[in-house]
Amino acid sequence: MDASQVAQVTEMMYALRNPAGIPTFPIIFIGLGVLTFALHILFVQLMLGTSAITLYGAFRENAYWRRLGAAMLEIAKVSVSVAVVIGVAPLLFVQVIYDPHWYTSNVLSADWVIAFIVILILAYWAMYYFYFRNSKNADKTAVPSSRWSMLISLALMLVVGFIMHSLTSQILHPELWKEWYMQNGKLDYSGDQLHAFNIWRYAFFISMSIPVTGAMLVTYRRFKSVREDADHDYLNWAAEVGKKWIKVGSVIATVLYVMWMVTLPETAGNFATSIWGILGGVAVIGYALWAQLRLRGEARFCSYMALPMALVIGLVVAISREILRYDILNGFFHYDFFDYKIVMDWYSTGLFFLTFAIVGGVVLSYFLTIAWKSGQTVGVYTPGAGVNKLGTLSIWIVVLWIIQFFVVGFYVWAQ
Amino acid sequence: MDLISLYPTWYEPTVGSGWVVALIATFHVLASHTSVGAALLFAYLSHKAYREDREDLLDFIKKYGLFLLVFTYVAGSITGPGIWYSTTVASPNGIGALIHSFVWKWATEWVFFVIEVVGVYMIVYLVGKVDKRTHMKISVIFGLASWATMLIIVGILSFMMLPGKEQWFADGGYLNGFYGTNTFIQLGMRTAFMFTITAVVGGIVIAGIKDPAFKKEMARKLGWLGIISTIVGALMFQWYLTAVPEQALLVMENRLPDYFMPSIVAVLAGTLAYFIITMIRPQTLVQGFAGAMAVIILVAGLWPEETARESMRKPWVAGQYVYSNQVIGRDVPGMDIKSQLPLLEKVGILKAHPFTPEHLREVNEGNKIQAGEFIAMTYCSNCHSPSETGIRPLHRYFPEGVSQERVAKYVKGVLTTGNIAYMPKMPMTDSEVDALAAYLVLNNNGGQAAVTAAIDSEIAQRDRALAEKNASDKVAALDFVQEVK
Ligand code: HEC
Ligand code: HEM
Repeated sequence: MDASQVAQVTEMMYALRNPAGIPTFPIIFIGLGVLTFALHILFVQLMLGTSAITLYGAFRENAYWRRLGAAMLEIAKVSVSVAVVIGVAPLLFVQVIYDPHWYTSNVLSADWVIAFIVILILAYWAMYYFYFRNSKNADKTAVPSSRWSMLISLALMLVVGFIMHSLTSQILHPELWKEWYMQNGKLDYSGDQLHAFNIWRYAFFISMSIPVTGAMLVTYRRFKSVREDADHDYLNWAAEVGKKWIKVGSVIATVLYVMWMVTLPETAGNFATSIWGILGGVAVIGYALWAQLRLRGEARFCSYMALPMALVIGLVVAISREILRYDILNGFFHYDFFDYKIVMDWYSTGLFFLTFAIVGGVVLSYFLTIAWKSGQTVGVYTPGAGVNKLGTLSIWIVVLWIIQFFVVGFYVWAQ
Repeated sequence: MDLISLYPTWYEPTVGSGWVVALIATFHVLASHTSVGAALLFAYLSHKAYREDREDLLDFIKKYGLFLLVFTYVAGSITGPGIWYSTTVASPNGIGALIHSFVWKWATEWVFFVIEVVGVYMIVYLVGKVDKRTHMKISVIFGLASWATMLIIVGILSFMMLPGKEQWFADGGYLNGFYGTNTFIQLGMRTAFMFTITAVVGGIVIAGIKDPAFKKEMARKLGWLGIISTIVGALMFQWYLTAVPEQALLVMENRLPDYFMPSIVAVLAGTLAYFIITMIRPQTLVQGFAGAMAVIILVAGLWPEETARESMRKPWVAGQYVYSNQVIGRDVPGMDIKSQLPLLEKVGILKAHPFTPEHLREVNEGNKIQAGEFIAMTYCSNCHSPSETGIRPLHRYFPEGVSQERVAKYVKGVLTTGNIAYMPKMPMTDSEVDALAAYLVLNNNGGQAAVTAAIDSEIAQRDRALAEKNASDKVAALDFVQEVK
């Protein structure tokens, strides 16, 4: 591409920016976007990996695998919900900063965007179908019925992930957008194609399910082992599988990461050999090393560190991924999100961070404490006075939030 | 170059992008309100179970509630982002305007979403695993958090119709955009609606109660809840009509189908009758009947509401400054936003659109139909489908066999000047008017087949011309080589 072609692309991207501007500094949106993307992809990987175990267990004639499959299904169900709800956050932030790119990419593949929703619902219902067909059966080692539905669920989830991946990849090719809008010399308004993908990149993100799920298994053993009714043979077996998955999975993922870097478009310049390009791969292989060193035998403390470590590694990769986007869009095409017009709005910015910290912090600590404790208790869990107070506090904090909503509202209205 | 923020257009010929959005939105409102309704009911039952120390109530929640809650919750939580995705592809600048003004409000709502998701699973999984008091607390938090998400989204939705206060245009500011008379009335309306749904959906749940005395008690309670909330909601709707822009009322009066008002009244009457019957004779409440009624009442109530909202906003899609066809049609000094109409008047739509292909930037005999189609897709298709079906199909508005001159005159005289209240002002150069008229007439008389044929022949001609030019260039180059020799 010559300079004038690049200049045309730059001008087009700037023209597409929303004239309303953004309510605070752009770096804040990018930061939150990276953080929440790392969380999103972690739960996506957890959900894919635990689904895979459920499926594998269902087809293996092995009592341990069957039990593990049933246990992991519980995690898969919750993980989908969490992945979806957390996915909303990067979805919000990417279109604040990269609206020209996100909207163009979506509109040009609109049929797939709509299909994404439908397929996701079907995938989730298929998973629940499998669950409801088998949850009544107390014998978790029996052959599960309707195994096909679990197979369909996992397959559809992978399709959903591919759509996500393609939408993200299209962002990186502003030079091709106008071509994509034309097919065979004719304008194409149908949005019935996915136009760009990088199979290595997709495979890399999916393959991270292996180490992440390995981390889940290690955590599972640690968590359940304190219960009075724990079956230690079974739990130890699960943890050993987990350790293997972390190590082997990280190696596989590293290979795929390298392939991704090798196949980057020219517009990425020398990102692959830049510090962040290398760091992403190092972080992933580092996970195998960490597991080798720190997850020996019982590993009573480090077993609980396995998932947080996976998040940290995911975060490094998420940063690399964001810098890659910046390097392409700014480095090559001169679209710099830092110069987005700011129409500062302190009130809503402040309200978010306060709500996040106070309402989110208190209520979620209460919820997670209860979930944690009751998971480790045989029979009915009755919280002590402290936790009960936390519960009452949580209720009052939400009530207070609602009151401030109306107080501020009526004040503004009356002005 | 003079470009404005216009994206490619997505055109769905069968139902139209507008209906796709409405369909997903209706499904979402149905699913999410049902799950919130169910959760509120469970909070109540859970509270009662705790107060009166009743195991049977908790068992009951577990047995009948979970299925309902999980399914509606799953569908609701996916169709939520689904609305977002679908409006993104149907109206990127509409959603973009909302996102850029209210990103933090959405982020705040997201905090409550996370609380809801964790909460719903805890309500479901922890029955019998935690003491009743804790279960009650979790249910109460879930109910409150769900309501909080509604408080937030209603502010954003009412901005779509009209910014909270007129002052927003001059001063900007998120609070001015968010809060207004409209916001509060809608809030009341939707809360009432949520309780109606709770009552209807509650029917499905209590249909499973075996103890006749308790069933009767619950049927009474839900019946009263339903009757009161339905009446309050209907009154709120009347009040709401006094607070929307006059323009919207005009569209309502003139443009909504005749069956609209009678069908609303019928739905109201049917809903009230349903509650009264279930109160008097709780034994009629069996799950199949209650479930069917839930869907009928909700869909019959929701669909007209969604339709009305879509129509009433015309010609705007967001904040009375972004037109449905994505063009910004008004200055908003408070946000430093300029109307894009002056530029469009100067250079026309083809030159201002970033996605106009090179060969369509100037209208000529060889690209007229393509250019006309491009203009119609950009300017009209959001409100009028160029196909046989879908939203307000274009062909219905022009008589059979209409001449190109008449259409051109209409487009120039009425549409480019913005003389019709419910349509945007759509500036075009004379050659663009010509192209659009040629396309509209062709589409009107021959349908999509004729348009496709005409475009194919334009393209074939272009390719032929290109090939000839290449050939003659080659010949010239050869001559040149010869000469040098
Ligand atoms: C903001 C949405 C919107 C856009 C954009 C729009 N229209 Fe309309 N148009 C309407 C509505 C609403 C009606 C009234 C529909 C009805 O009565 O059923 C209407 C009616 C019409 C009519 C009937 C004439 C009349 O006097 O009522 C014609 C013709 C028409 N539109 C053509 C067009 C063309 C051509 C375009 C694109 C250049 C266009 N419209 C763009 C909303 C729109
Ligand atoms: C359960 C099915 C899902 C799967 C398997 C999945 C998978 C993925 C994958 C693989 C990526 C990385 C793409 C890449 O960078 O190449 C991704 C990114 C993303 N996903 Fe998901 N996802 C799922 C559901 C969702 C949902 C429901 C949402 C929204 C509510 C969502 C929002 C996002 C966002 C916003 C990004 C980042 C886009 C960007 O930053 O450019 N995902 N997802």
